[in-house]
Amino acid sequence: MNKKALYLLLPGLLFLAAFMLVPITLTIASTFVQDGKLTLEGYLHFFRDGYFNRILLTTLRVSVVTTLVCMLLGYPAAYYISRASARKKSILLALSIFPLLTSPVVRSFSWMIILGKKGLINSFLVNIGLIDKPLDILYTPVAMMIGLVHLFLPLIIITLLGVMENLDHELVRAARSLGASPFAAFRKITFPLTVPGLIIGGILVFVGSLTAYTTPALLGGKERVVSTFLYQNAMTLNDWQAASVIAVIMIVITFVVVGLMNAWANRLNPKG
Amino acid sequence: MSLLSLEQVSVAYDNRLILEDFNLSLAKGQLLSLLGPSGCGKTTTLRLIAGFLNAEAGAFMFGGKDYTKVPVEKRNFGFVFQSYALFPHLSVFDNVAFGLRLRKLKEAEVKKRVTRMLEIVSLGGFEKRLPAALSGGQRQRVAIARALVIEPDLLLFDEPLSNLDANLRVNMRVEIRRIQQELGITTVYVSHDQEECFSISDQVAVMNNGKIEQLDKPSAIFKYPASEFVARFIGFGNFIAFDGRNDMGSDIELSRGALKFQAAKRPEGLGNTGLLGAIRPDDLQLFGEPGAAGIDGNTLPGTVQISTYLGRSYQYQVETELGVFTVNQEMEQPFVQGQRVTVYFPKEKLVLVQ
Amino acid sequence: MKEGNRVLSLYTLLVFIFLLGPLVIISITSFEPGTVLKFPPEGFSLKWYRNIFEVSAFMDTFKTSIIISLLGNLLALLLGVPAAYALSRYRFRGRDTLNAIFLSPVLIPGIVLGFTLLRYLIVVYGLPIVAGLLIGHTVIMLPFIIRVIASSLENFDFAVEEAAQSLGASRLYTFFKIVLPNIRSGILAAILIAFLESFNNVDISVFMTGPGISTLPIQMLTYVQNYFDPTIAAISVILMVLTAALMFVIERLMGFAYFTKR
Repeated sequence: MNKKALYLLLPGLLFLAAFMLVPITLTIASTFVQDGKLTLEGYLHFFRDGYFNRILLTTLRVSVVTTLVCMLLGYPAAYYISRASARKKSILLALSIFPLLTSPVVRSFSWMIILGKKGLINSFLVNIGLIDKPLDILYTPVAMMIGLVHLFLPLIIITLLGVMENLDHELVRAARSLGASPFAAFRKITFPLTVPGLIIGGILVFVGSLTAYTTPALLGGKERVVSTFLYQNAMTLNDWQAASVIAVIMIVITFVVVGLMNAWANRLNPKG
Repeated sequence: MSLLSLEQVSVAYDNRLILEDFNLSLAKGQLLSLLGPSGCGKTTTLRLIAGFLNAEAGAFMFGGKDYTKVPVEKRNFGFVFQSYALFPHLSVFDNVAFGLRLRKLKEAEVKKRVTRMLEIVSLGGFEKRLPAALSGGQRQRVAIARALVIEPDLLLFDEPLSNLDANLRVNMRVEIRRIQQELGITTVYVSHDQEECFSISDQVAVMNNGKIEQLDKPSAIFKYPASEFVARFIGFGNFIAFDGRNDMGSDIELSRGALKFQAAKRPEGLGNTGLLGAIRPDDLQLFGEPGAAGIDGNTLPGTVQISTYLGRSYQYQVETELGVFTVNQEMEQPFVQGQRVTVYFPKEKLVLVQ
Repeated sequence: MKEGNRVLSLYTLLVFIFLLGPLVIISITSFEPGTVLKFPPEGFSLKWYRNIFEVSAFMDTFKTSIIISLLGNLLALLLGVPAAYALSRYRFRGRDTLNAIFLSPVLIPGIVLGFTLLRYLIVVYGLPIVAGLLIGHTVIMLPFIIRVIASSLENFDFAVEEAAQSLGASRLYTFFKIVLPNIRSGILAAILIAFLESFNNVDISVFMTGPGISTLPIQMLTYVQNYFDPTIAAISVILMVLTAALMFVIERLMGFAYFTKR
C-alpha cells in the first residue's frame, strides 16, 4: 500500500477502530460468553421468549409495510419530478430534501398533533359527526408506520430521482420510434431500468425503519420495537447482556438485508 | 556530453514493472520525442524524469549530478500537462507568476517576467482572466508560459496537444518548436502522434513495452524503421516474410520460395539485417496489364478485392499469392473490383526490418 | 397521455401535502395562546417562543448541542479531510475496503452504535459522558465529511497539484494554496451537512446523558413525553428555519446533486 496514503488515513482509521470497531466487536463477542463459558444461551433465551418474538414481529411488520407504502408513494412522485421542467424540478427537489434535513424529533412530533386524541384527525371526525369517541391512532403500530413513512419518504424519492436522472431519455424516444405507446415505453424501458433504484431505496427505508428510534419512541407509546426495546433494556432495566444481544440481532438483520437486497439489485441491473 | 541520462532504470507500478533496465540520454538544447502506443512506458519515462515517480533501481543523472532522489519541487523542470493543469482559482497572471513567487522574486521582477512571457506566447492582455474563461489553445499557451517563466533546466511535455482540434494542433506544434529553439531549451516531448513527433523533434525514440525500439533522427526512422513494430507504427502497412537473402553490392536479392525480389541496401549505419520486407501503401504501384512501362522483376500478379476512395487517392486491397496488400494510388480512372492487376514493389522503397 | 399526466401530478401533489402538511401544521400551532396544542389554534401569541428562552433546560441543551456539533465537526474534519484526500488521490490495493470502513458508521444502526459507545467508552474506557458524546458525534459525522469532500475532489484534476510541485511548491504548500481553495465550497457544504446530522442526532445522544448534560433533541424528547404544550412546536419552527437557511447555503455551495447521488 502507498505509504503517503497510509499516513493520511491512519488517524481516522485508528479513531474508528478505537471508538467504533472495537466497541462493536467486543459487544458482539460478549453475547457469546456467559459465566466465562462460550454459549448461545443469550440468543436462545431471547427466541424462546414470546415477548421478544412479538416485538421482533411487530418491528418487521411495521418495516415491511412502511417500505411498501414508501415505494408506492415515492416512485410515481419521483417519476413526476424527473420529468418536470427544470424550475419545477428544483423546487420539488428542495421540498424533498428539506424534510430529510429536518430533525426527526420535529417530524415525529408533528404527527402527535395530528393523530392524538384531541388531534387534527379525531377532532375533524368528531366534528363532522362520523364518530362520537376519538379513535386510538397515536401510540399504535399504525402511528409508528405513518411516522416512519413520513420520515423515509424523502429518502426514497431522492434515491429514485438519482436513478431516473441518469436514465437516458433517448432510450424512451427510441422505444417510441419503434412503435411503443407511452405506457408501453414506460413499462418496457423506464420501469425495468429504475427497478434497481427502487430496490436500493427500499433497502434504505427498510433498514431505516427497522432501526429507527425516535419515531417509535414518540409515536409508539407502550408499543415496543427492537430499537426502543434495546434502549429500555440498556437504560431502564440495566440488562446489558440483553441489550447487547438485541444490538447484535439488529446488526445481523441489517447486514443480511443489505447484502441480499444489494445482490438482488445488482442482478437486476441490466447494465451489469 | 549528454545533459540528461537514465541509466539502467526500473520503474514499477502496482507491482508491475513498466520500465526495466531502461537507458536514455539527451544532449543539451535538443528536443527528444518519446513516441509509442498507450501503455508503452513513454509517460512513465517522462514522469520519472519529472520526479513524479521514483525508480526502483538505476540512476537519473542530470547535468552531471545524481537527480534520482531529488524531489520534484527541487528539480527546476517545467512540465506541460495533457490537461494543462492550470490552477482554476488563479488568474492567468497568477498562474504564470506562481513559480516565480515561490522563488521569492521581488513583485516588480515577477511582473516584468510574467508580462514578457505572456507576450512570447501571444497572451498579452489576458492577465486578469481565469482559466475557465480561456479557449483550449489559450490555456495551452498559459501552461507553456507557466512552465517556461521559471527558466527551467529542462522542459517536459506530456501529450500537450491531444485535447486541441486538428488545425490548432498544427499551429501549436510550430509554436512549441519556435519557442524551444529560440530559448535553446532542452526538451522531452511525449506523444502518440507520429506526425507531431516527427515534425518538431531533433531525435525520436519509438517505444514499445517499456523499451526503446529505435532512437534516431525523424527522417531516418521514417525511411528506415529498425523493427517490425516501428515499421507498423509509422505506417508500413505491407509485409513480406522472405526465406532467403543474398547481399550483392548495393542491392540485396531476396527469395520467397521460387519468387525473387530485390531491395536496395540501407545507407551506412542504419542497420541492414532482417528477413522481413516492409513497404508503405503509398509506395506500392499498381498496373492494369503485366509488363508495363519497362518494369521487370519486383512484381506480383493480383486481383482487386476492395476499392475505397480516400479523397486524394484510391485505396485498394489487392489479393496476391503472398497475401493481401494495401495500395494507395492517385488515378483518374480507378480499378474496379475483381480486376486483374500487377503490384510493383520499387526496390528502394522496400526495406528489411527485424 | 394528458389524462395520465393530470393523475400523476395530482398524486405527486398529495404526496407533498403528506410530506409537508405536518410541518405546516406544527408551525401554525406554535402560535397557540392556550396551554394545550390545538389545531387550528385559538388565537395568535408568541408566548411559547418566549417560553423557550425562559426554560433554562432548553437554553442549556441548545448550547451543549451547538458546542458538541461544532467541536465534533472540527475533529471530524481533522480526521476526515486527510482521509478523503488519500482515498481520492491515490490508487492502491484495499482502497475500496478502506472506503467502506470510513463510510460504515452510517451502516451500523445508530441505536446500536449509541449503546456500544455507552457500554465501552463510558463504562469500560471510563471516559466522561461529555467526551463520549463528542466522540460519538465525531464518529457519525466522519462519513458525511468524507463523502462530501471526496465527491468534490472527484472533479479536481490532480495534475494541477503536480503542476504546482513542478514549479517548486512543497506538498503542504500545494495542499493549502492549490487543493484547498479549489474544494473550499465542498468543505463548507460538508461542514453544514455534518452539522445538521449531528445537531439532529438522537440515537447516540440518548445514551449520553448525565447530570447537566444532554442535547436539545433529547431534551425535546423528554419534554414531549411529559408535557403537551406548544413549546416544542415553537422550537420546531426555529429549528426548521435554521434547517432551511443551512439548506439554502448548501445549495449555493454545491447544488443538490450530492443528495441524489448514491
